[in-house]
This record gives sequence, C-alpha cells and structure tokens, in this order.
Amino acid sequence: MAGGITRVALDGRMDIAGAAVVDLKMNIIAGSAKKLLIDLEKVEFLGSMGLRSIVIPARAVKSRGGKVVLFAPNEMVESVLKTSGIDTLIPVCHDLDAAIAALA
Amino acid sequence: MSAMTMPEKWMTAPDPSSPEPRLTLKSQLEDLTLVIPWVKAIAARYSVSANTQFAIELCLEEALSNIIRHGYRGQADQAISIVCTVKCSPSDAAVDELVFTAEDHAPPFDPLALFADTPAPAPVSFQDFPPGGQGIRLMHKFASRLAWQQLADGNRLTLAFAIRA
Repeated sequence: MAGGITRVALDGRMDIAGAAVVDLKMNIIAGSAKKLLIDLEKVEFLGSMGLRSIVIPARAVKSRGGKVVLFAPNEMVESVLKTSGIDTLIPVCHDLDAAIAALA
Repeated sequence: MSAMTMPEKWMTAPDPSSPEPRLTLKSQLEDLTLVIPWVKAIAARYSVSANTQFAIELCLEEALSNIIRHGYRGQADQAISIVCTVKCSPSDAAVDELVFTAEDHAPPFDPLALFADTPAPAPVSFQDFPPGGQGIRLMHKFASRLAWQQLADGNRLTLAFAIRA
C-alpha cells in the first residue's frame, strides 16, 4: 500500500489451529513493518490464541516506534477484541481511510 | 464455586432426533477440531444464531484447551467428555438454553477462580496486556453462565448459552 503501509489480510478461523498457521508469517512481517494494517474483514472466528497471533507482532512493531491498526473485524470478532482490552492499545477501524489515517 | 443449579422452571427435553449429545476427546489440542462440526450440527438442529454459535465455539475452545494444557499438563492420552443438554421452558416447550458439560479426570483445577467475572482493566501499554488469561475472560463474557465442580476423580465445567431472546 502507499505510504509505507504493510497490509496483512487474515481469513478464516483464528483459533488454535489457525493461529499456528499464521504465527511465523506474522512475526516475520512484524520484523520489518513500520506501519502495519491487519485486515480482519474475512476472519470468521477469533479465540485467545488467535488474539495472541495479533498482539505479539503488534507489540513488536510498536516497540520499534511503528504503528498498527486493526481493520474491519466482524461484530463478534470485535467483541473478542474489546473484551480483551486490546482495542485500547491498537485502534480498530471499519473505514479504510480512517485506518490509513491512524497509521499516518 | 459450587455446581450450577438450574431454576425449577427448567426441564430437560429428551429429543431422539438431536445430534449425538456426547463428544469424547483425547487430551490433545489436535482433537479440538472435532468440536467444530459437533457444535455446527447442534447449532443447525436447534436453529442457533450465528453469534451464539460463535460464542459456543469460542467458550468450548477456551475451556477444553485449558483442560488439556493446565489440567492434564501435556498428558495426551487422557479423556475429556462433553455432553450437550437441551433445556426447555415448560410453558411452550421451546428450547431456551444449551448447556455443555465438560468432564475430565485431571487434578482439581478451577479455571474460573483465576479471573473474576469482571471486565479486564484497560491496559495502558503492551506491558500491561496479560499474555495469558484472556480465555477465561472470554468465557465469562460469551457464556450465559459458567460453573465449576470438583468431582471425586476430576472436574466438571458447565457452560450454558441462552438461545432464545
């Protein structure tokens, strides 16, 4: 994406099995990204292990002074995010322009 | 915490057309994949909403993975049984609640004692964000009721989900 933004689109079930599939890739991406947009639009399910697969790379990016935004989670996935409290650390946006602005 | 008790108005409704009411797993995370189709069949049978089905799948994944990782502590050949019970209101016999009861033979372990049924304090930094324990908070949020009971040779965890507004 323009503006140095790395967009990672996740899909399917971010359960224990799904988290195991994406963990390594997410951590590799987080190792170099400075502006990370995690697209959750096609994520059907998010459990605590899937949440860790988002939080750990996000923490890595932010520890280097980068920015992270979560984009377009469905109602239940967003409820998981809010229950955990992670939405207070990582902005959750449903509008792409707002997501890009949060990474500026 | 004591065992969950049902209000007197509830009754169990035997239903021979229901999906298999019991699922038995081995204490390995790979077996959690068996839970999804089982829950889907139950959800289809009782016209459970997509959001409630999400909640059931979420809570069962968190509860069962806790049993496997913390209860059995890596012993992969132990049994976990889950029974789904349908609760109906006697007034119209409509299904009001699905109750899932998970039993294991692990040492006493009350997962609900780890975190009270209170919202997580808002973290102000990633250092404040706990690496574990989110599963218990999610269970408190997404299940209608939770209860743990110590058995003579294991644990019983009960998770109830209202399926009628």
